Amino acid sequence: MNDQSTQVLLIEDNPGDADLVRLRLVEGKSLVDVNCVNRLSDGLAALKERSPAVILLDLNLPDSHGAETYRKVLESAPGVPVVILSGQDDEVLAIKALHQGVQDYLVKGSISSSSLDRAMRYAVERQALLRSLEMGRKQQLEFKNQFLSHVSHELRTPLTCIHQYVTILLDGLAGEIQPEQRDHLKTILRSVNQLGAMVRDLLEATRAESGKIRLAPRCIAIGDLIQSAVAMMQATAGQKGVGLEVGLDTTLPLVHADPDRILGILINLIDNAVKFTPSGGAVTVKACAVAADPEFAYISVTDTGCGIAADAKPLIFERLYQDVNAVVDSSRKGLGLGLFMAKELVGLHGGRIWFVSEPGEGTVFSFTLPLYSLAKLLFPIITHQGRLRDAVVLLKVVLRPRSEASRGRWKDISQRCLETLHRCVYLDKDLVLPPMAAAGLEETFLVVASTDMERVQTMMTRIREQLEKVADVNTHVRLDLTAAAVTLPDPGGRDLGSENGSKHAGNHAGNEDSLKGQVQEVANRVIEMARPAPAARRSSKSH
Amino acid sequence: MASSKILIVDDDPDLRQALKLRLRANHYDTVHAGDGYSAIAQAHKEQPNLIILDLGLPAGDGYVVLDRLQHDDKLSSIPVIVLTARDPQSSEQRALQAGAAAFFQKPADNAELLEVIRATLPRATTVTPMPS
Repeated sequence: MNDQSTQVLLIEDNPGDADLVRLRLVEGKSLVDVNCVNRLSDGLAALKERSPAVILLDLNLPDSHGAETYRKVLESAPGVPVVILSGQDDEVLAIKALHQGVQDYLVKGSISSSSLDRAMRYAVERQALLRSLEMGRKQQLEFKNQFLSHVSHELRTPLTCIHQYVTILLDGLAGEIQPEQRDHLKTILRSVNQLGAMVRDLLEATRAESGKIRLAPRCIAIGDLIQSAVAMMQATAGQKGVGLEVGLDTTLPLVHADPDRILGILINLIDNAVKFTPSGGAVTVKACAVAADPEFAYISVTDTGCGIAADAKPLIFERLYQDVNAVVDSSRKGLGLGLFMAKELVGLHGGRIWFVSEPGEGTVFSFTLPLYSLAKLLFPIITHQGRLRDAVVLLKVVLRPRSEASRGRWKDISQRCLETLHRCVYLDKDLVLPPMAAAGLEETFLVVASTDMERVQTMMTRIREQLEKVADVNTHVRLDLTAAAVTLPDPGGRDLGSENGSKHAGNHAGNEDSLKGQVQEVANRVIEMARPAPAARRSSKSH
Repeated sequence: MASSKILIVDDDPDLRQALKLRLRANHYDTVHAGDGYSAIAQAHKEQPNLIILDLGLPAGDGYVVLDRLQHDDKLSSIPVIVLTARDPQSSEQRALQAGAAAFFQKPADNAELLEVIRATLPRATTVTPMPS
């Protein structure tokens, strides 16, 4: 084997064609070293061993035909140029192959040694160019993201300076100010805050693009989030004379989502809706379940505004897009990142976002969020060999700050406690629930354990010991562990009618369904037990 | 009652000045440092009740300062609030684990910062039983 020669992998099942290609290669100017195989599987195996300089590929092989053949080769050897040697002069297939990454398409009957030689050399060159372009593109993207992240950091320092001195003046720390001066200062402060929000959005969008957004999902009542978003936007809507209403399906189960992110999306959608709705119009925020799609909650923001023009529709979710014609009030313009971010974030949650709009008749933006199905998570935990386990206990671990000084560290401490808790349970028998939406600083973690009240004591001791070892817990946290048995449904007495009918039928699917029903009942009870008493919630807030 | 003394560490003199005005208006005494080295020196000399610390500093960045404070018996009990332009996603957890009592991104909300200062000052934590 010569190191100077070009390594060629020839995948060709017809011995006559293979010999002909070999002959043409030998006649050519370049030194070549041909490895010939007659099946695709052998070719793919050879590619695993060593990467050749060029692949010459017949499409119709004993174990693969047509476009499928080159797709598999491209997939197994990314970056290696592929030249198709085909029996038929099929221009449509040739163009399709080129679009999908093949370098050339030659018809066997018309190959000369010089044309094959040239095709191979050019294929190698083009592939190398492509690779460097792709690398350049990646570097540019990385550079752009670093640049944006650097810029947004650098902008923060002067921004902070303006913010600090404006608030010093406004708060009268540098002497009394006149009402007119106060108004001007407030205008500056508003603009500074707007600028701050833009800098934040810029960094967020950069992060979204490089896949660096982290979600902190919790079990949340979407209705509560909608209420808070609406409360925060009420003043903005009121100033413009736009009504802001809420329509909630109160039976909607909890969703599994990052509350801060979802609040951001809601505020953004409501803000947009208000922006594009004239005085006297209305914006309505709704959440409901849809029977045809039972695993998701549907949230929508409807306005009676100007609608979205047909030519703007495909661009709405693009980064930096904003409808310049539609925004009347230029002081309320943003960077055009809001809907881009909403789409990214909804996507990260596993939901989707879309809109329906007719010019002049308003717009409905909708998005979905996955419902939190406790029953689905509980099923493998609390059932064993086709029936419910004998006992199930709900364990509550409540973390309360010892003093106000714990406040700054609270998020960090509770996160580490949750991680520790996960390590304290048996994965096949116990389930640590995702944290519920927290009220204030108090944090409640819940564990559903397949054990009885007697044995749960050992478990509680173990959890307490482990949690007390978490750094700073003793200084900052008051730990409170309680356990309560979950009343299990009685599989015999629950539904007498079907019991009599199916007892001897031995219908397995029916048993499976009834077991699912029982798990659902347990899940409902757990949720009922997990809900903090309303009185307790109020007292912790008023503190 | 003597007012609490707060050491402000920031390399931007304008920001130091602004923070000083804000804190003095709220009856705190302030002392200042513009880099990591003098932050430690000032902490030794002034024995402040609390330190407000920027992360991006010349002569030893904020993490170095946190580390020195933690490993200095005379200084390790002084609570530190980090106030930085840096991104919380990349620096908040690191700062807290390095011993900071709280983390704020600039520009911080004044009321919230003052609230946390008040809560973090050792005087306010007399209800906290000391770990044995």
